[in-house]
Amino acid sequence: MKFIKYISLIIILFSASLAFSQVKFEAKVSKKKLGINERLQIDFEMNQDGDNFVPPSFRDFEIVGGPNTAVSNSWANGKRSYTKTYSYFLAPKKRGKFTIKQATIEIDGETYKTFPITISVSAAVDKPNTSPDASDIAAEKIHLVAEVSKSDPYLNEAITVVYKLYVSPETGVSNWREKDNPRFNDFWSQNIEIKGLNILKGQYKGEDYRYVVLRKTVLYPQKTGKLKLEPLVLDITVEVPSKRFDIFGRPILTKVPKIVTAGSRTIDVKPLPEQNKPSDFKGAVGDFAFEVFTTKSQLNATESLQAKIEVSGKGNLKLFELPKLTVPSSLEVYEPEHNENVRTNLSGMQGVISDTYTIVPQYKGKYPVPTISFSYFDLKTESYKRITSDEIVIDVLEGPIATTNNSDNATSSNTKQTVRPNTNTFAFIKTSSNWSSISSQPFFKSIGFWSLLLCPFLAIPLAIVIRNKKDERDADLHGNRIRKADRLAKKYLGAAKKALGQKEAFYLALEKALHNYLKAKLNIETSDFNKEKIDSILKERQVEHEVVKDFISILENCELARYTPITQVTMQNDYDKSAKTISLIDKQLR
Amino acid sequence: MRAITLLFLCCFSVIGFSQNNQRFEEANALYNDSKYAEAIDKYESILDSKVHSVELYFNLGNANYKLNNIAPSIYYYEKALQLSPNDKEIENNLAFAKNMTIDAIDKVPEVGFSRITKNIVNTFNADTWSKIAIGGVLLFVLLFLMYHFSFGTSRKRIAFIVSVLSLLIGCFSVAMAFQKDRLNTKDNPAIVFAQESRIKVDPNQTSEEVFRLHEGTKVQVLETYEDWKKIQLSDNSTGWIPSKDIKLLKLF
Repeated sequence: MKFIKYISLIIILFSASLAFSQVKFEAKVSKKKLGINERLQIDFEMNQDGDNFVPPSFRDFEIVGGPNTAVSNSWANGKRSYTKTYSYFLAPKKRGKFTIKQATIEIDGETYKTFPITISVSAAVDKPNTSPDASDIAAEKIHLVAEVSKSDPYLNEAITVVYKLYVSPETGVSNWREKDNPRFNDFWSQNIEIKGLNILKGQYKGEDYRYVVLRKTVLYPQKTGKLKLEPLVLDITVEVPSKRFDIFGRPILTKVPKIVTAGSRTIDVKPLPEQNKPSDFKGAVGDFAFEVFTTKSQLNATESLQAKIEVSGKGNLKLFELPKLTVPSSLEVYEPEHNENVRTNLSGMQGVISDTYTIVPQYKGKYPVPTISFSYFDLKTESYKRITSDEIVIDVLEGPIATTNNSDNATSSNTKQTVRPNTNTFAFIKTSSNWSSISSQPFFKSIGFWSLLLCPFLAIPLAIVIRNKKDERDADLHGNRIRKADRLAKKYLGAAKKALGQKEAFYLALEKALHNYLKAKLNIETSDFNKEKIDSILKERQVEHEVVKDFISILENCELARYTPITQVTMQNDYDKSAKTISLIDKQLR
Repeated sequence: MRAITLLFLCCFSVIGFSQNNQRFEEANALYNDSKYAEAIDKYESILDSKVHSVELYFNLGNANYKLNNIAPSIYYYEKALQLSPNDKEIENNLAFAKNMTIDAIDKVPEVGFSRITKNIVNTFNADTWSKIAIGGVLLFVLLFLMYHFSFGTSRKRIAFIVSVLSLLIGCFSVAMAFQKDRLNTKDNPAIVFAQESRIKVDPNQTSEEVFRLHEGTKVQVLETYEDWKKIQLSDNSTGWIPSKDIKLLKLF
């Protein structure tokens, strides 16, 4: 252990004695930390002249300049000081930590080495240290500024960007060139031509400057959100006064090439409010007037007229669609002709755009053109506005009539002109009317319908049954006779039967009934009504002798009964007998 | 009692009719003086008393046409045609009114057998068909009884043939009446009253738009869901329309 200590002590002493021997060979760097875009100066300095200088290998660097050799020799107070320097300018190739290795030199037959130096290279820095002084000055004295009229516009609201180059009075610009034209993505842009560069005086950050307006652009944002304006990049040659003066005392100007950028600007584009957004809104933003008109309102069929839809005013005129014209389908409409008469200045687009439709009516009639509405966003009031056109009626005075079923008469119409009365006119109202209740019940499927439809079928069996019954009764002879006698008795002896029991009335009625019967059957007048005549006539008509006798006896009974007392039973007997006789006579009568 | 009320009703209706006749004539006079709006008011006051007629609807259509009210004029003409199909004057003026409409819709033609049957069915309305059926049945019954009870051979033969024929006519008419009734219930036309209406795929506002219809177009209503109606055009395209945009023709 002690041994090591001694050795190290000896080494230290030895090195100290070396330093003392006044030979110096050192490597010096301008900085140990630098950005990748910066440059590095490395000096190898010695205080005695040497030979065989071997620089280290600058593997990770690019040698930009050098080696430069500088020798200085001076005497001061009898003492000579001498330095010889090899210097290199290096630019790093990549980021990282690099070591610059030893350089060697032989001085008085001995080899000296420098210490290795570690350099760290970081990311690019804004201000590379390599710029010479003149360009620093230029950077301070020359400014390119982009002035944006509004940083939070609405979608489709016009904004202007004005690029101004400020130059301080001490410096001058001898030449300039646009290196990179900014492209305005997501904007509709229009450059405003600038005639000549006028130098104006103005202030920049409180100092007097001269400035020129290089470029004016009108922008209409087409997208919402944060949009970036690409910077304008200029390559200019700046004349900077140096600290040296010419023989006349004027500062000598050094020309420095310089790249200036306006810096990128972000524009926050607000979307148009969704609230109360009209359905027919098509993106028009600004201040507009809207009109629809036709060249004629009355014409004949197959003549043409023009309908014009026109929007005038200030705003994004080229950036929205005009509302479409809708017309009745029976009008022939051609594709519209689009006209734009728009000027663009710093405040935006201004002018008139219009669509002209050519319309040819085919048939006679009235054709109303429906109202057309146009909505836009008014920036002043920040609200939507709608303008509605008036309704236009195109009156076609003469022409063919539209047929609902245009089948064959359409083709034959134009071959020959036939003379026919003009029946196809709009018919006049009807002057008289038959009223019926609105709430009428349909007959079909009603109870009446079903009963009327089905009841007749019931009539068939009913009629057959009735007929059969009738036939049956006709076939029954005995029953028929009884029924006939009853009927006859009922017919003629009805009054007598009512009076049954009252002697006089009964016989009176009975006699009358018998007389009536004979009158009806035999056409005997009342005047010649005696028994002999009745007897002879009845016999003539082939009535049996006995029956005639019975009849006569009843008549005699009637007469007798008036004067003799008669019992109820006899009366009944007489009634039955007369009924029987009548029916017998009726049967035998020919 | 019933007879008396019936008599009363008859009297009232007669009074009502005569009142309507007076109003109708007043309205006609207004129309002839080109005071169409007033005429329309008068005509509609007649409609309010629950009576109608072909002529009333026709005149309402005319007055609305003169005022360029597309949808109402077509609506009333169609209504008049419902009461009196194949009226030449109505068809003529309807063609005029249809000139004002915007939509041009193709008609899918019906062909072959279905067209023939439809034509036959549409010759009469259901009530007339049912009356014909009843007539046929009555004739059949009479002739059948005649056949049954008559004795002569030739008379019997004729009666039988005619009775069978009239029974066939009766059956056919009943079938036609049913067919016509079915067609009537299926047929539910409406007129678009909104100036422009968006027809959607589904019955809600957010759904996709299929097409647009304009005032005066005639559509067939297929079904109803909440306040939407499914409609079909004459070219068989379908979609949903808000109920307020159309007016049904079958309201009476």
